[in-house]
Amino acid sequence: MMEDEQLRSILKCVRCGTCRSVCPIFEELGWESFSTRGRMMIAKGISEGMDLDESIIDSINTCTTCGICEEMCPAGAIPPDVFENIRHEIVEMGKETESQKDLRENTLSTGNPMNETHPRLEWLMEQRDVPDHAENVYFVGCLGSYRYQETVLRTYDLISDLDVTVLPDEVCCGSPLLRTGSDAGELIAHNVRQMEEVGAHTMIASCAGCYNTLKNDYPDRFRVVHITEFLAENLDKLELERLDITVTYHDPCHLGRANRIFDAPRKLITAVCELREMRTSKENARCCGGGGGVRKGYPELSKALTEKRVAEVPEGVDYIVTCCPLCRTNMAPFSEIPVIDLLDLLTWAQKKE
Amino acid sequence: MLKKQLEAIVGEKNVSTRSSELYCYSFDASQAKGDPDAVIRPHDSGQVAAVVRLAGELGLPVVARGAGSGLCGGAVPVNGGIVLDMSSMDQIIEIDIDDLQVTVEPGVVHEKLNQALSPYGFFFPPDPGSTAMCTIGGLMANNGSGMRSVKYGTTRNYVLDLEVVMADGKIVRTGSRTLKTASGYDLTDLMIGSEGTLGIITQAVLRIHPLPRARSVILASFDNTALAGKTVVKILSAGIIPSACEILDSTAIETVRRYDPTVELPDAGAILLIEVDGMQNAVKEEADAVGKVCSELASGIKVASTADESARLWNARRLVGAAISRIDPKRTRVYVGEDIGVPIKELPGMLEYVRSLSEEFNIPIMTYGHIGDGNLHTGMTIDMLDENGMERVNTVADRIYRRVIDVGGTVSAEHGVGKARESYMELEHPTSMYVMRQIKKALDPHGILNPGKMGL
Repeated sequence: MMEDEQLRSILKCVRCGTCRSVCPIFEELGWESFSTRGRMMIAKGISEGMDLDESIIDSINTCTTCGICEEMCPAGAIPPDVFENIRHEIVEMGKETESQKDLRENTLSTGNPMNETHPRLEWLMEQRDVPDHAENVYFVGCLGSYRYQETVLRTYDLISDLDVTVLPDEVCCGSPLLRTGSDAGELIAHNVRQMEEVGAHTMIASCAGCYNTLKNDYPDRFRVVHITEFLAENLDKLELERLDITVTYHDPCHLGRANRIFDAPRKLITAVCELREMRTSKENARCCGGGGGVRKGYPELSKALTEKRVAEVPEGVDYIVTCCPLCRTNMAPFSEIPVIDLLDLLTWAQKKE
Repeated sequence: MLKKQLEAIVGEKNVSTRSSELYCYSFDASQAKGDPDAVIRPHDSGQVAAVVRLAGELGLPVVARGAGSGLCGGAVPVNGGIVLDMSSMDQIIEIDIDDLQVTVEPGVVHEKLNQALSPYGFFFPPDPGSTAMCTIGGLMANNGSGMRSVKYGTTRNYVLDLEVVMADGKIVRTGSRTLKTASGYDLTDLMIGSEGTLGIITQAVLRIHPLPRARSVILASFDNTALAGKTVVKILSAGIIPSACEILDSTAIETVRRYDPTVELPDAGAILLIEVDGMQNAVKEEADAVGKVCSELASGIKVASTADESARLWNARRLVGAAISRIDPKRTRVYVGEDIGVPIKELPGMLEYVRSLSEEFNIPIMTYGHIGDGNLHTGMTIDMLDENGMERVNTVADRIYRRVIDVGGTVSAEHGVGKARESYMELEHPTSMYVMRQIKKALDPHGILNPGKMGL
């Protein structure tokens, strides 16, 4: 039986259809069940005991949780939260999809959704003298640890003088599980325990997904900042010089709309080079199609969204800059213009000794 | 069987009998519900005609649907059958500035049409709050209008010619490409507001209007809604026709603030938002005249200083109907007992009556709407988990509708009758319902087009 609070969050929807004009998945598929409004209706149906067949599960699972519907909703509904909760209910009812099961099993057994088995931060520990205790912890994240080690190393070097360490046995923040209906309590507890052991009070995340999760799903015991906020505050200490390039910036949904971090990345970018905005940006930025388990569960659909986002890149830019390794991984194969992390850009701009 | 037959007409990927789709297409924004047997997404009038012929053979209802943003159940298949989701027929076929017209398919979204016309310096004046999602087809089927109808009229005033699929599957043209005609029965007008019960619109030629050179928005505050209502009577009788004249009561003011805190509204019992448009000098003169009339009863008057401020004001106003759900986390807006229209001079009395009902039933009722043409929306919110909530708002709605008819008004000024208001049709049209039924019988003898609606 669903709790009243959860039921009310579903019933907030007045079915006005404002979200139809913005949901990128609906734009792609055109059927009502793939619009936010349709999903809100189906969530209500599920709360009333509707049979869960494949079409119902597809409706709920095809949301990227980009949150543009929430941004536009006049009634104040929070559809991404509703869908995450309903996914959880569906999984609890034993209707987990193969893709959800893979994500859950991989992440819980290896500590990362990619199922990598070797120690995630060994390469960093070997190359740098990482302290055991510090005020600040750099939360590296799975994609950073296994796919973007160069970027992560640069990030670490950039902030290592500011009383920073990493968790000795960091595991996935839990985002992939929470977005797709599984429990992440075990992972969260593991990371929190180490935070206490390290004695840190601040977690610095460079991945938008990690940041969103640490900020909103972790116990409220630590300060959580995104690396761009942290660096924007310390801009004068970074000793940057201007680069003769022009870039555009892709707002990750979970950094921008979900947590209102729009200005810090732009402050850093404009400190080192020209910024030309994408066709939609900030609150209205189009989703890259990677989030909410859609990239793994519905790759063709995800790809269609990515292509639309890449088509919004303005003329005459040298790089697409972003702050989310998932957005980066998602967009890079479909973009002629290289996709880089904001931290790569800042490292290039650091004054050479 | 039905699925295969439909697939043969519109193709496999444009037919759905998935349970998710059958469920989602059983609603619109009203409280009406009805499960379809299949949903299809036609792409041209030939496909629509073939589907209507098939439905005729099978004796199945056919219900056309645009964005499903309707507030009266017009697109809900209350007797089952085939729902035609027209949103794939979304092409703007021709923009013909020389002839002051544009040819569109019914699935074009209202806002997209005006975005396309704007570079030419033209617009399609009906201005519904649902501009971002509603389709031109739905707008025509319900004779929708919105904020600018006080000056520019309703959708009906802008339709020159329609392509319609009739109940027998024939495709007809109803009008001409001229700006006026006196030739024969006006079948175009008959189709407008017929809510898909007489035919299915598959193309429309619409008259367009030059964009005004200038606009000015006056914001007048009052101690109560009745004083605002009296002021509207004075403005109109002074010979001023504003391009918009909207009322927001105190709840609506609070709702706008919750929706967009950057919109600055005064604390008041009610405010009027009055827009005048036209040539620069005329706008200034008219704005002054409006200010003068308002000053007799208003507690404060302010002019929106920038185009950006006006735009934010109108955007918030457009969405206020749904945004009232933000006031209380436990309550949700239900579209019941709304969309009334009364003669202008009955406005102050009607506003007072609604206020008294709010007290009597202890239900907050937000009053807002296009007061300049006598069209008021009464927004009620309920706790959806309260078992008696719906019954109470229905009782209030019934009282409102009966009073409206008593004073010579209409139960729907712009949202349509559909399922939600069909039980008031006899009451509002005691002498003419039989004519409507005869027309329906003549054009749709087997009753396959959107049955169970409009009290037919």
